Amino acid sequence: MSLLELEDMGVAYRGIPAVQDVSLRLDAGQVVTVIGPNGAGKTTLLNAIMGILPARGVVRFKNRIVTRLDIETRVRAGMVLVPEKRELFGTLSVHDNLLLGGFVHRRQGSAATAAAIDAIYDAFPRLRERHAQHAGTLSGGERQMLAMGRALMARPQLLMLDEPSLGLAPLIVAEIFRMIAALAAEGCAVLLVEQNARAALRVAAHGYVLENGRITLEGPADALAADARVTATYLGVG
Amino acid sequence: MTRRWPLLLLALAACLPLLGVLPPFWVTLANYAGIATIVATGLVVLTGYGGMTSFAQATFMGLGAYTTAILTTRYGVDPWLALPAALGASLVGAVAMGAITLRLSGHYLALGTIAWAVSAYYLFGNLDLLGRNDGISGIPPVSVFGFSLIDSRSMYGLIAAAAGMCLLLTHNLLDSRPGRAIRALRGGAAAAASFGVDLPRTRLLAFAYAALLAGLAGWLYAHLQRSVNPTPFGLNASIQYLLMAVVGGVGSIWGGLIGAVLVTAVNDQLQNILPRLLGATGNYEVIVFGLLLVVLLQTAPAGLWPLLRRRVLPRPRTITEAPALPGRTMPAPGTPLLAAAGLRKQFGGLVAVNGLSLTITAGEIVGLIGPNGAGKSTTFNLLTGVTQPTAGAISFLGMPTRLRPQRAARLGIGRTFQHVKLVPDMSVLENVALGAHLLSRQGPLRAICRLNRADEAQLFAHAARQLDRVGLAATAAAPVQSLALGQQRIVEIARALCLDPILLLLDEPAAGLRHAEKQELAALLHRLRHGGMTIVLVEHDMAFVTTLAERLVVMEFGAKLAEGAPAAIRANPAVIEAYLGAPA
Repeated sequence: MSLLELEDMGVAYRGIPAVQDVSLRLDAGQVVTVIGPNGAGKTTLLNAIMGILPARGVVRFKNRIVTRLDIETRVRAGMVLVPEKRELFGTLSVHDNLLLGGFVHRRQGSAATAAAIDAIYDAFPRLRERHAQHAGTLSGGERQMLAMGRALMARPQLLMLDEPSLGLAPLIVAEIFRMIAALAAEGCAVLLVEQNARAALRVAAHGYVLENGRITLEGPADALAADARVTATYLGVG
Repeated sequence: MTRRWPLLLLALAACLPLLGVLPPFWVTLANYAGIATIVATGLVVLTGYGGMTSFAQATFMGLGAYTTAILTTRYGVDPWLALPAALGASLVGAVAMGAITLRLSGHYLALGTIAWAVSAYYLFGNLDLLGRNDGISGIPPVSVFGFSLIDSRSMYGLIAAAAGMCLLLTHNLLDSRPGRAIRALRGGAAAAASFGVDLPRTRLLAFAYAALLAGLAGWLYAHLQRSVNPTPFGLNASIQYLLMAVVGGVGSIWGGLIGAVLVTAVNDQLQNILPRLLGATGNYEVIVFGLLLVVLLQTAPAGLWPLLRRRVLPRPRTITEAPALPGRTMPAPGTPLLAAAGLRKQFGGLVAVNGLSLTITAGEIVGLIGPNGAGKSTTFNLLTGVTQPTAGAISFLGMPTRLRPQRAARLGIGRTFQHVKLVPDMSVLENVALGAHLLSRQGPLRAICRLNRADEAQLFAHAARQLDRVGLAATAAAPVQSLALGQQRIVEIARALCLDPILLLLDEPAAGLRHAEKQELAALLHRLRHGGMTIVLVEHDMAFVTTLAERLVVMEFGAKLAEGAPAAIRANPAVIEAYLGAPA
């Protein structure tokens, strides 16, 4: 059974289609990546799955049609998006940002929350050092860690990452990709949109190529990585 | 043709009160709506486009009204001769008020204008010269070609013409070089400053323009009423005008007209209908009006205009061939271009840049790399004058300089931003054209009189060429926000190229780009370098930066960790440890 299934999904801005006839599936604990040029509609696709943008077609999550549900309901159902611009609460502390990330589990008591935050701090020790600092004063790498940590506080079964390596130093990028693999190993599925297509296809099981709002190619990640057209446009030689 | 007929219909509707079919009462109402339109249009420029809130528009109206009242009643000056004096009084008032108040921002600016409005109201009511609370009466009517506009209907012709003219002039202003600077104040101020926009002056321009319109409205009001007193120029009236602009929609010049007409009509009709409906007298209209307002702002937070307008994309601007703008002469390759010595920047207890020395030679491409938080973006901000160093010196082309954003732009330093800073409400091409701010001298007067067409054609042809250079010509007319983030970064490069820079500073230009797109960008940067431009870029994509730059500077903890040729840097153990990590 798939965790997430899109059937003929379409999204339009002011009547102009940005994403058309997209069908996509993702199983529990699987990493799937969507690659494609700038302006192809990848961010739009993630936003529509999350419910930030209205979509046509069917979005099915855990066998339930969520196409018309609001964002909060989808988060409660188990999906979370880490947006491209991170959208942290800049004037709140790192700790408070994490607390807000766990908002849907607020009735579970403070011991459970403290344990969840501790788990995030263990995964990102840098955040523990910075726990009292305003999120707006963090460096680029720390922002991305916090954005991911905040998303994980909702304990999702599906984590959607929009350009997680954007603006990050190579060392941190490697760290983020290790994190993605570890999450999948623990059973959290990841839908990944990433400029670094080589690294994305290495961590993913399956990949889709989105061009001009449509899926033009799909397949197992290693097959895509070997595809001549993908190599020329998204990977480069070497 | 389809774009013209709504305008034609509007003009016909505006002529209706002249024909004599409407009862005089409606004509009077139309007069007040027309005067209010003029004031509200000023507020659209100030608040909707310039992002400043003023509660003093009725005060400026009062300055105009009292000036013409005194001149015409005491000194027998003809109303037409009193008009320049009335406008001058509002202008002087605005400049004086603005010079003191405009340094404030946000809520403080609004509060400042409230203070001015309250004090002016009491001043109007307490000066003997202005007739205290009784005001001044016996103001003569305006006459046109010997025909005296003594009744309401004939005055309407003048008011409608004035309102129409104000709408046209405002449209012209907003679609011009100074107009785009005003539009950049809201949401794009930091970037605008980096392209040479004088922010305080631009704020003052918007403030003075809105005050001038209010002054004109005051002059019309005085000669319509034929008497003035403090009440219509108090804080309540100012709030009313702001309300009209918000109801109509401050984001468009039509918002002022719609808001003024609607609020005037509804207010009056409620006063008529409610007492009959409720069978009791009292100020019920205030309550009902308040409720209507709450409902409106809930359903249409941007005002009514966006609801009425069909969702059409902006009409693409026609680009005509125009002679090229004068370019800068590039320094000969190899001359020292920029030198920074001992740069230090401290934010409270945090040292972001710590004793950095850096030399950039004309014609080279230098990559600035390092871990996140190493101080790379702060260094960029120091080199472009956005932040001032705590210690250290910068010289450009051998001359020591204290950099400010505007000065850096004048010297020929163009830049892009790590977090994209584009003006959200403008098209791609208009955003790019903002980069050419310094290449044209065209001012507000020529703009409102539409004498700027040749300049504008030249400026937009220049902007379109830059957009074409970066490969985004097809997106020129699109709203800039409809582009993907990676494309917005490229738009920023086109904007920087518009400045015709000697030195180009790019903050993570390749972030979010795909392999093929990165190759196109690299090819563009190579071409620019061959044209004599010097480029410094912050970038994390090592493959991209090492093939492009001939020299890399590595920063860590605000200081220089290493410097040298890319191959040497990639093999440097300290750099591998701090930044690159072991090769996978």
